[in-house]
Amino acid sequence: MSTHHEPEDKIMLGDQEILKSDLLTLNMGPQHPATHGVLRVEIKTDSEIVVDAIPHLGYLHRCFEKHAENLDYRGIIPFVDRMDYLAAMSMEWGYALTMEKMLGTEVPKRAEYIRVLVAELQRIASHLVYFGTYGIDMGAFTTFLYCFQDREEILRLFEELSGARMLYNYIWIGGVWNDINDDQLTRVKNFVDRFEPELLKYHSLVGQNKIFIERTAHVGVLSKEQCLDFGATGPILRGSGVEWDLRKNRPYGMYEKIDFDVVVGKGEKGTVGDCWDRYYVRIFEMFESIKIIRQVLDGIEEGPVMGKVPKIIKVPAGEIYMRTECPRGELGYHLISDGGKTPYRLKVKSSCFTHVSMLPIIAPGQMVADLVASIGSIDIVLGEVDR
Amino acid sequence: METIHLKKQIEPELTIGKWFKNVYDAVRTTAIGMGITFKYVWGREVVTIEYPEVREELPSNSRSRLYNDAENCISCLQCAVSCPVDCIYIAAVKRPTDAPKIKTKDGTPIRLDLKQYTIDTALCMYCGLCTTVCPTECLTHTTDYEYASYTLASMKYDYLAPDIRAWRTRIVKS
Repeated sequence: MSTHHEPEDKIMLGDQEILKSDLLTLNMGPQHPATHGVLRVEIKTDSEIVVDAIPHLGYLHRCFEKHAENLDYRGIIPFVDRMDYLAAMSMEWGYALTMEKMLGTEVPKRAEYIRVLVAELQRIASHLVYFGTYGIDMGAFTTFLYCFQDREEILRLFEELSGARMLYNYIWIGGVWNDINDDQLTRVKNFVDRFEPELLKYHSLVGQNKIFIERTAHVGVLSKEQCLDFGATGPILRGSGVEWDLRKNRPYGMYEKIDFDVVVGKGEKGTVGDCWDRYYVRIFEMFESIKIIRQVLDGIEEGPVMGKVPKIIKVPAGEIYMRTECPRGELGYHLISDGGKTPYRLKVKSSCFTHVSMLPIIAPGQMVADLVASIGSIDIVLGEVDR
Repeated sequence: METIHLKKQIEPELTIGKWFKNVYDAVRTTAIGMGITFKYVWGREVVTIEYPEVREELPSNSRSRLYNDAENCISCLQCAVSCPVDCIYIAAVKRPTDAPKIKTKDGTPIRLDLKQYTIDTALCMYCGLCTTVCPTECLTHTTDYEYASYTLASMKYDYLAPDIRAWRTRIVKS
């Protein structure tokens, strides 16, 4: 993809020539409400048609990977939270799994169940943020309020469980920090029972609305091949019709014993892999999460929540790559240890970074307003992109 | 000069029948949506908490402002070591052998005299690692969350200073 255009270049949209004047360079972001954080997209437009879009990153870069080399293994967890701050539980779980595999720690059954429970609640909370903000992008403000009202309930539960609303530091190496009590489990059950019909209502309020469909169907189409070429994961990949979910295909934690379906985009309202399909995948993943939570509530056992972990963690020399399915896609930790108290190298593979890099192939040929729809539908969190 | 080809969005062809169907669909689905939102006009309780007037009580294990009960501190430095951002500053000297023997609330003998215990709250990221390693449980997170201040210097809490020790009666969980 060429990123440099000369003024005398001939630009064709389909079989029509569109260049009537010079290209206009526009900066979208970093303080643009539609970029969901501090993403700057440099757009070259010819009137309303986007010819090129170049994402610029680094506004939220916190040097996590280098910083982790100077922290002990327990002290990394609070920084892991700050990567994807909308799905901190999933981030922690991935790190804890990496460490447990490296140390060979047994995690108690109850802790495993609690981890699945909080990760799925987190998935719902994260997708609700997507749903609400995507509604705003498309001009539907009401869903935002509804979604945040429901998300508040989940955050309140997490606050009681872990002590914080967003950056939990809850899942530790070897288990979880705090036990969940019966009262909280009942609350989760009540929430799930109340939330399921509400979610269907929101879906018919937004997703079935003709105006919303017109804005999202056939827009921002990513084919199966493009997704596989770029290494897209999570709802983007599933929205393009690839049935790939690490919870199903490479089960970790308790997921082997849990029965759920993988939601795949079918191109119901438009083309396979358009914005509407990605929306559809996320909404119906929430229903699957509810299904998982119900099974966890039935299956949860009594017992300790923390396994045996040495007081000072020293990881044997070696390396490991562990990946988990986060709300936004695959999250991979590549840990290299030289046997000391701190990691030699901790590389994070984030799905959002891959998805941002797909913008230059979505954008050309779109209207500027459709670009907003496309950026919204890939659902990025800049904390995870920049790290 | 080169030619750049942009791909055109595929869209189905619009016939007159489809146009009318679109209009009908738009009106119908919007009406459904309006029906859903209309129910919120009456009979819904207000969920917004209007902050300065209504203050929400935080859960008891909420991680907010740190408090160190200096009388029970044995200067073991575990909090300072576990802190990922190194915001806890401790200075202690060995207690003279002829000084009277003192113990903490849970019976641990205090062998070091605490000379300085300062936490830079502006650096602190409230991860809670320091409170979990504390052997005498003197360092705790309180549920106090209203402590904005104008200067960075005033965010450095010296837990041996009398004005900060006076919080104890106000914010410390029993």
